[in-house]
Amino acid sequence: MSMDVKALEDDRHHRYVLNMGPQHPSTHGVLRVLLELEGEYAMNLLPVLGYGHRCHEKIAEFKPAKSFMPNTARMDYLGALIYNHGFAQLLEKAAGIEVPERVEYIRVITSELNRIQSHLLWYGAYLLDLGAFTPIMYSFDDREHILDILEDVTGSRLTYCYFRVGGVSKDIDEKFVTGTRAFIKRLRSRFPMYEDLVNGNIILQKRLIDVGELTPHICARYGITGPLLRGTGVAYDMRRAEPYSIYSKFDFEIPTGTKGDCMASFMVRFHEMEQSLRIIEQALDGLPEGPIMAAKVPKKLKIPAGDYNSSVEAPRGELSYYLVSDGSDVPYRLKVRTPSYSNLSVIPEMCQGMLLSDVVSAMGALDLVIPEIDR
Amino acid sequence: MDINQVKKQWQELSTAVEDVEYAVSGHDYNVCLECDKVRDFATLMLDEGFYLVDLMAVHVTPAIEVVYQFAHFETRCRVLARAFVDDKVEMPTISDIYQGANWHERETRDFHGVVFIGHPYLKPLILPEEDVDLKPLLKAEAKLKDVDAVRRKPPEPAPAPKAKPAPKPEVKPAAVKSQEQS
Repeated sequence: MSMDVKALEDDRHHRYVLNMGPQHPSTHGVLRVLLELEGEYAMNLLPVLGYGHRCHEKIAEFKPAKSFMPNTARMDYLGALIYNHGFAQLLEKAAGIEVPERVEYIRVITSELNRIQSHLLWYGAYLLDLGAFTPIMYSFDDREHILDILEDVTGSRLTYCYFRVGGVSKDIDEKFVTGTRAFIKRLRSRFPMYEDLVNGNIILQKRLIDVGELTPHICARYGITGPLLRGTGVAYDMRRAEPYSIYSKFDFEIPTGTKGDCMASFMVRFHEMEQSLRIIEQALDGLPEGPIMAAKVPKKLKIPAGDYNSSVEAPRGELSYYLVSDGSDVPYRLKVRTPSYSNLSVIPEMCQGMLLSDVVSAMGALDLVIPEIDR
Repeated sequence: MDINQVKKQWQELSTAVEDVEYAVSGHDYNVCLECDKVRDFATLMLDEGFYLVDLMAVHVTPAIEVVYQFAHFETRCRVLARAFVDDKVEMPTISDIYQGANWHERETRDFHGVVFIGHPYLKPLILPEEDVDLKPLLKAEAKLKDVDAVRRKPPEPAPAPKAKPAPKPEVKPAAVKSQEQS
């Protein structure tokens, strides 16, 4: 065997490939990234996908559209209700079903609780990636309250299948309302503690500020949406840009950043929790009485021929369902546009020339949920 | 962005620009393209500040249809562009214009076998290397539909009242044309 002496002579410029994942804790699932390193600097990145692909789009072409609802929850296990919401809305739009007002309120309240839950998990897990162990204990403590509240009404804790075409499966009760109000109060009182404990921490700031900067132009080229885009200063939120359900009735702000770095998206997510609380509060105040199911939902839901699109704001960005129907009750083609898929594709450009430890910061800022990338 | 001006530019590039009702379909405009105009169209969309929402393929006869979806950060303008692949199941890539299309095109290559000409790295993204020609989302012969079968039909009660004033629109384009010529 002969050794490449030249490469060893000048090993400062010796490049090597490091395999990160698919079982690496900071990839939050089965994502594998091949890193071409020069010393501690990542010169090139190549994400490898497909480890958890479950063929949801193929499954959709083989069964009635209505019965695809549980699959939507398995795509993004953290935003399951929002994925339910988008799909229910798609079929209601396609079949022309009017949804009772109470249903819309229930959907908004539960979806926003789901969003906060997702952000709280991200908050703890991200800080864990960055080496701060304690915050996840606090954020999971808060998150647990949401899971309990939602478990009572939906029957599950993570992969909810609560929404139906034309309504929801179970009405919310007094216990849910009082529990949610108590939770709002609790989480509000915890925000100052989070600010003191984490957000102002100098180590966190050094790890996040000026790392992984994005611009609106990069976002447009890659199709990046959600908190990452809002961190660059573009106030683009599907709840405002294309108001679906009853979001146009509520008064809430869209938090934005300016620099587009990891710190900006970090703060955007943090402030979004407060805005979600505001929406829930207003929805609870205005909750009307009424049925929880549309009057006429046919058992066999025939979708008129044509193509339909339904977009909602998932915790990680824009989620779009695109359905092509041939007039039967089984979709001819269903495409799910998941936000993390587009968000992750920026990684090679975002992280080029970064320190390896900053790659972890940048990847955590994307708030990846791998099952929604590998649908 | 001036939508009327952009629409004019679309019309130059495309075979048809359709206004669609947002409440029904979730889109504002449908654009039909020839496959050699896709790159020009993508360049135009990027210049106008649109972002790429999605890229996918739908297997219909006569040919696989590649569907592009665009939206805008500032105004609500959701555009769906369609183009049929050519005889060799090929399509020019837009991944150098919209880098986000890179993975979408690789996925479409995996699932439908559409080859994107000029793509920098058209290796399987989801499928394992050895299953590169599996094309799992292609329809079986019995299930394959014609493109007209999956297009929106005009609502049924509407045509009757609309049938009477139908001759008028025929006159109008002629009048517009003569104005343009003069």
